[in-house]
Amino acid sequence: MEHTYKPSTLIKALAGVLIVIGLIAVIYGFASDPARTWSNVLINNMYFITLAMGALLFYSLQYITDSAWSALFQRVPLALGAFLPIGAVLMLLLYFGLPDIYEWAQPGITETDKLIAHKEPFLNVPFFMIRMILYFAMWIALFVVLRKIAVKEDTAGGMDPFFKSRYYSKVFIFVSAIFFSLAAKDWIMTIDSHWYSTLFGFRSAVNSIYYAIAVIILIILYLNKLGYFPQLNTAHRNDLARYLFRFSIVFGYLWFMQFLIIWYANIPELTAYYYPRFLGEWQVLFYAEMLINFAIPFILLMSDVVGRNKIVMPTISIILIIGLWVSLFLQVMPGSTGELQFGFIETGMWLGYAGLFIFVVFTALSGLQLIPKNHPQLEESIHHHL
Amino acid sequence: MANKHIIGVFDDENKLLAAIKNLKQYKANIKDVYGPTTNHDLIKALTRESLLPFLAVLVAIGTIIGAFGFLYYTSVIDYPLRYSGKPLFSFPPMVVILFLLTILVTGGVSVLAFLGRVQLFPGKQPVMIDPRASDDRFYLVMDQNFNPEEIKQWINEAGALEIVEKEIDTSTLWGF
Repeated sequence: MEHTYKPSTLIKALAGVLIVIGLIAVIYGFASDPARTWSNVLINNMYFITLAMGALLFYSLQYITDSAWSALFQRVPLALGAFLPIGAVLMLLLYFGLPDIYEWAQPGITETDKLIAHKEPFLNVPFFMIRMILYFAMWIALFVVLRKIAVKEDTAGGMDPFFKSRYYSKVFIFVSAIFFSLAAKDWIMTIDSHWYSTLFGFRSAVNSIYYAIAVIILIILYLNKLGYFPQLNTAHRNDLARYLFRFSIVFGYLWFMQFLIIWYANIPELTAYYYPRFLGEWQVLFYAEMLINFAIPFILLMSDVVGRNKIVMPTISIILIIGLWVSLFLQVMPGSTGELQFGFIETGMWLGYAGLFIFVVFTALSGLQLIPKNHPQLEESIHHHL
Repeated sequence: MANKHIIGVFDDENKLLAAIKNLKQYKANIKDVYGPTTNHDLIKALTRESLLPFLAVLVAIGTIIGAFGFLYYTSVIDYPLRYSGKPLFSFPPMVVILFLLTILVTGGVSVLAFLGRVQLFPGKQPVMIDPRASDDRFYLVMDQNFNPEEIKQWINEAGALEIVEKEIDTSTLWGF
């Protein structure tokens, strides 16, 4: 069980090529349309921070619920969290593009817009940046602690790291529940600065686990194909597919909950958010979002036998990877640029970020034992069966 | 109708599992298994696929269609009342009702179908081969239409504590 993973040169080359594509897209974007490029920076930052935070949430959930079945591949969600420091740097760079994305950050807007003037004590550029730094400081600190405990478990062993991980997982659940939902409100919801939804933060925080599991599944199946995780059996895949299925219901539920209340109440400030999406030019994407993120996974994963299939599972994960992008695109773009544009800037930048993400995650994976050999629940996890 | 049956008594579910796998291999007729605990491996070994999920899906689809028809009839045909400027037929408010009705009806029908299939109702006397089936023993019930001596030998080889022959009412048995 002395497995350590070394990223193959193919993965490194792929990541390198993707990053180069991304750099070209960024340069091309800033030369042609800076506002659109800044919006894309925000979409992609949020995209990969969501994945990192969701993975760490999943990791902590396993600890606080004492779930033994996932102990085998615990290092994968932990490795996804390694994107947080880089996400923080990229997010802080957004400081230079704030007026291009956020209406409230434009100079002089408080004199003409009473609603924004009312929100000014909270929504102003210095406080926005301070909050951003605070969020990242907390998340990164907790990630570093969790990873250090994992390293200690590999080298020293014993029950102590397990109890410590469990303790810090509880802290992390609280911190992410409060501050990741606040961050989602800060970064995404305030784009439409007149609109608000009390559900928005919770929705973003919960959905993050959904997409993180999709990526975790892809990485696990990829590594399994290479010969790692030889103990991975049908029961593990079954449980991962079930996780996806349950979260597809959660996604549909929360998505509709937010929509229905606004649709029913018909308050102008709130319907202004849904008008371009539900009835305007974004309509196709609006329905596509529901179809991709809820209907397809829900129907395909309904049967366990189909869900744990080695072809169906990665297919749905890839569909969900597109789904998160569509979802964020719909949340950001109508409010920031207001134009439905899709081209090289969008695809290229996403690919660049994906390359960076792949590089960071696989490097982080190689830094630890791939299978946590001293984990007290490892034996139980290996013999997991239904 | 009471028939003579061969009953193998086991004290270990793994031995019972081995016995069942053996008997399956010989295509012998397992009539029923009694034990204090459930075991997923046992259920798998007995290969009884439940049809309940399919029933649930069918009922769910039926309920969705029926409830949609009902909602359409009430809001558009029977009592067309326009409220808050919405069209007479609008789908969003129906979703919650469809969702909840589907869960309610499907859940109820599934429970009733399950109770009907296992012939369980309030006040039913439990059918038990021996009181110790709810304590620490597993009972494997076989019928006689194979060579009885051979069956006894197979059960014995699997590690049964004892082998009993007993008259049992066939209508109370599952038949695998």
